[in-house]
Amino acid sequence: MRKFFPVDSLARDSRFNQITMSQSQADPRSPLMAADTDKRPKANRLQPSRPDASDAARSLMHGIFVGEIQALEGAGRTCHDFETGTEAPFALKLDMARQAWDEARHVEISVKLSEWMGSEIGQYAENTVLFEAACSTDPVLRLAGVNRALEGLAIDVFTTMKEFGGIAGDPYLEFCEDWMLADEVTHVKMGSDWLRRITENDPDRRKKALEFQSVVDKIFSFGGTRSDSQESPIGLARRFRELAGFTDAEVEDIADVSLRALEERKEFTRQAQADAVEQFAAS
Amino acid sequence: MTATVEPSEFKFVSFDADLIASIADGLVDVLGIDRPVHVIVDEATPLARTRTEIGDTITIRVESGAFEDARQPRHQSELSTAATLARALLRARDRISGGFGEAPADDDLDLRQIAAWEVYCVGRMERLGVPVNPQRWKYNFRNRHGFNDIADAAFERIWAADGLSWGELEAVSTAGATA
Amino acid sequence: MADPFKPRAPFAPWDRRQLPGMFDVEETARRVGNYKWAEMKLFEALGGWIATVPELDVKMRLGTHCYHHAWHAELWHKRLPELREMNPDRLTLPANDAMVEFVAALTEPEAPETTIEKLVGVYRVFIPHFISAYTFHMNNTSEITDAPTIRTLKLALQDEFDDWRDGEMMLQSLIETPEEVDRAAAHHAKLEKLMLAAGGIAGPGSIGNLPAVKGN
Repeated sequence: MRKFFPVDSLARDSRFNQITMSQSQADPRSPLMAADTDKRPKANRLQPSRPDASDAARSLMHGIFVGEIQALEGAGRTCHDFETGTEAPFALKLDMARQAWDEARHVEISVKLSEWMGSEIGQYAENTVLFEAACSTDPVLRLAGVNRALEGLAIDVFTTMKEFGGIAGDPYLEFCEDWMLADEVTHVKMGSDWLRRITENDPDRRKKALEFQSVVDKIFSFGGTRSDSQESPIGLARRFRELAGFTDAEVEDIADVSLRALEERKEFTRQAQADAVEQFAAS
Repeated sequence: MTATVEPSEFKFVSFDADLIASIADGLVDVLGIDRPVHVIVDEATPLARTRTEIGDTITIRVESGAFEDARQPRHQSELSTAATLARALLRARDRISGGFGEAPADDDLDLRQIAAWEVYCVGRMERLGVPVNPQRWKYNFRNRHGFNDIADAAFERIWAADGLSWGELEAVSTAGATA
Repeated sequence: MADPFKPRAPFAPWDRRQLPGMFDVEETARRVGNYKWAEMKLFEALGGWIATVPELDVKMRLGTHCYHHAWHAELWHKRLPELREMNPDRLTLPANDAMVEFVAALTEPEAPETTIEKLVGVYRVFIPHFISAYTFHMNNTSEITDAPTIRTLKLALQDEFDDWRDGEMMLQSLIETPEEVDRAAAHHAKLEKLMLAAGGIAGPGSIGNLPAVKGN
């Protein structure tokens, strides 16, 4: 078995259809551009008051499900890809093994919740961006990508879903998301602690890792899917991020990056639609 | 009668207007719709909302996500197309055929009412042979009526029903949301 | 109530633990170092394979079992300093070169079509050898002086048995044709021969050396 597994080789059964981030980003459509009406205000935040709330929640739950699979795979690969001692401390690898178990449970929970919500495995495309962005060949960058960016995103998503379940009165959703949220806060904290410890005497490496995290955070904002704006389906979970060890300044940075991603996506959509119209006219 | 589709060619998605028209035609026959159908697809958004206007023609406005294959973004799903159009046409037939005179206009329906009417449509669709996942609709019904046995009993009643009037549908739905 | 000041025997009548054991401190540390090395290799392999298996149930089980073996490695890591080895890495070693060869062969399969081979290696060869080595150690070490090792062995064995059962059931559900039976058997034989050469998880003597018995 080789070290460093490529994203396009992630093994799946026939129900799954994988797409890359670039394929997803090439879509000239965006919910951000949906027409506003008196009856249906343009707030995309995932809340039960959204008319399409149930379908949107089902779609997000499937996204969580495949995201948890990729997180499981990422944690497992960190156990394998780095030599103990010379490339990664033994205790770090133990933490990653623990995380693999946690992510395996999250996959189990997501499957059960998806059934509860009326979805089927593979019903939606699987965007492989999480594994793609999170699997650096430097263990410190990988921690920044997986444990701080990816798991940080998971905190935002689970907080949104937990609130959704609470408002809708869905006992299973709120219960399960609360448990998963507890695990994710632990994972982010784990990443923050390791990042600090490993780069304690290597400020350049720390800087590089934090820059990498910022890039991944922007990618994980999925063109405005996660931000403080009500136009984004997923909010930024400031309180839980604080519990997980993010400083106020770090949270503000992520907030800025996410809002920029939202605006860039809107601009991209406008341009892509104009281009498509032009191409269509020319053909 | 042949359904018409707008646009005839798509710029942002790989949809087939002829396929949409032929699916609509099939449903018009099966459901006994008495007037022409015109489908307008908004391909600029991946959302999946629909709006139906009933006049001499039934005009169904659909956002592209409603016809999309969720496994393959921007590609059309025949099943989703059929399911979306069937729900819209069943609602239209309810309004046309009587018994739904007191039903609010589409824009004035609240989310509970929409959920109940959807269940009434999808239950009938299943009996017509359109593949559906009942759990999906139960989940939506629960989100709008409550996660409890009373709401579930109302769901089962509406799902199995045929020939309801708006008053009857509303009564079951309201009772299902009281817990 | 009995008189609390009445002298009682330090070992109750039902406590039959014995002082003698087969292993001194040095030998125990050597074995524990071998166990740690082998558990590490196992959890690393399980973690690496998660991304390579398409079967969703297997994928999730590998993630769960990965942690079990990491935890065993951690327990052995913590035991080593208690056995006078203040630098645990010094004794974190394979039993011998043949054991290294075994692990290399175990972790060779990567393709998504080779889940049977991956599971055979872990659940029909490696884990059964953990069970036998741990059982032998537990039954032969001093029940009094080496109680901490026995406790860890018991905890690890519980996981080994549970994981072996999970793995064997996954295998039985994956093997659907006579050809797949042959594939599993061939891989099993290949790895078992390498394990035979290694002599077990802790090398020759992993499960003791049976004394020769004279025939009639």
